[in-house]
Amino acid sequence: MHHHLDEVTRRRFLLTAGVAAATIVGRRPSFAADVDSLLAGRPLVRYPEKTDLILLTARPPQLETPISYFDRAITPNDAFFVRYHVFPIPASVDLDQWRLEVKGHVDKPLSLSMDDLKKFPRTSVTAVAQCSGNSRGRFAPRVLGGQWGDGAMGNAVWTGARLQDVLKAAGARSGALDVTFDGLDKPAFPTVPDFVKALDLQRIMSDPEVIVAYEMNGQRLPMLNGFPARLVVPGWYATYWVKNLSEITVLTDRFEKFWMKPGYRIPDTPCGCVEPGTAPKNTVPITRMTVRSFIASPATGTRVAVNQPVVLKGIAFDGGYGIREVQVSDNLGITWSRAMLGPDHGRYSFREWSATWKPTGAGTARLMVRAFNSIGESQSYEPLWNPAGYLRNVIEQITLVVA
Amino acid sequence: MRCLATTLALTLAAITTAGAGETVSIALPPESIALKAGSGMDQTQTACRMCHSLDYITTQPGGGAAQWQGVVTKMMKVYGAAISEQDVKLIEEYLATHYGPR
Repeated sequence: MHHHLDEVTRRRFLLTAGVAAATIVGRRPSFAADVDSLLAGRPLVRYPEKTDLILLTARPPQLETPISYFDRAITPNDAFFVRYHVFPIPASVDLDQWRLEVKGHVDKPLSLSMDDLKKFPRTSVTAVAQCSGNSRGRFAPRVLGGQWGDGAMGNAVWTGARLQDVLKAAGARSGALDVTFDGLDKPAFPTVPDFVKALDLQRIMSDPEVIVAYEMNGQRLPMLNGFPARLVVPGWYATYWVKNLSEITVLTDRFEKFWMKPGYRIPDTPCGCVEPGTAPKNTVPITRMTVRSFIASPATGTRVAVNQPVVLKGIAFDGGYGIREVQVSDNLGITWSRAMLGPDHGRYSFREWSATWKPTGAGTARLMVRAFNSIGESQSYEPLWNPAGYLRNVIEQITLVVA
Repeated sequence: MRCLATTLALTLAAITTAGAGETVSIALPPESIALKAGSGMDQTQTACRMCHSLDYITTQPGGGAAQWQGVVTKMMKVYGAAISEQDVKLIEEYLATHYGPR
């Protein structure tokens, strides 16, 4: 496991790193400065079929995965984050009663039981589900919305039927454009927009990895993660991964109701960002995830000993091109060292990484991580900004106290 | 490799896949969050709790009158919250006073 790091010098970052270094020397961050002030006041709670998770909101439930779980590729089902939009959510599902309706502009409407769904060819994909607003609480200036830390994400092996097989069985008629997905979560008041999402039919028919999943890491889905079935759209933000799925409707037009428009939209600019504090001129639906990487172990603020090697561990992921390289820096990005990548579970999965770092002097050490995907996309020193708090992918860092 | 192997081993040991006849039920824990005491708290609790728990308020970044007026307007216009004109004023003032800039 312990190995020497390759030095990868990136001189083009010298200027930026120099500015960062000056700022940090001026501020002298203390140990206390590295306690996560965003999450500090939030209780750990235990919900049904879940382990201790960080409570964001109770109703509808929104629960965050502690960062310590991201030292490995697969996120356990009981630690997987929870995010609902409307309430009530299903409290009970009887598989004798549950049906997945496939209807609308189709030749043969279907009403599929779980047994019917399982008759379609079974397929699996390992994919990251990440909330569009993951890390929204870290935006500056702050933005309204769910104030997530970094734990509104997880990675699992999803197993189910290909959505394209289900739609072929129903026979989408010519002229079909969008397909909508609705779940068993239904607002208590008719004035609250039901949570319904749409995908383009052509996108579905050209992507065999979009699935209706009935298993998560080899087990049935926890209720709070979508029992008995949920949509899995690898590479795209989890807003499309409709849970407790009950209705699939083929439409002859574009679906632009609340959670597609004005909800879940990003500025129509190359970065999906605008000048902080300003409003975008035009917006488009959020889709593919940006490149991110995290150091999960040791935890920020951990005390380590001079000259004793420290194993850094974490994960990296992107929107489906696959992670090619992960690098760490202990000098604010003046030089970067290549981390060792763990096994490859496919281009949509978390990629586990590790690196050994040896502290050479006492004081506060700042360790940064960044990843590159297979088309060269990476992360930036300065966080991007948009009013909804989406797409965050700044270079992350932790602090270790060397004594 | 270790992690995937562990996952697979656990999966094989305790495979619980859903089949016909299975019913899954859950009961959510009670909501425990309380708002800060003050004039307008009762009206705020009553109006907001119609649709969501109060941590939807307490976890938001603190903001002044403009922020909270915007939020209350959105709740009424977008989600159809029915709040009397008199209560709207009370709620906006309560939120700006007790959940103002931090």
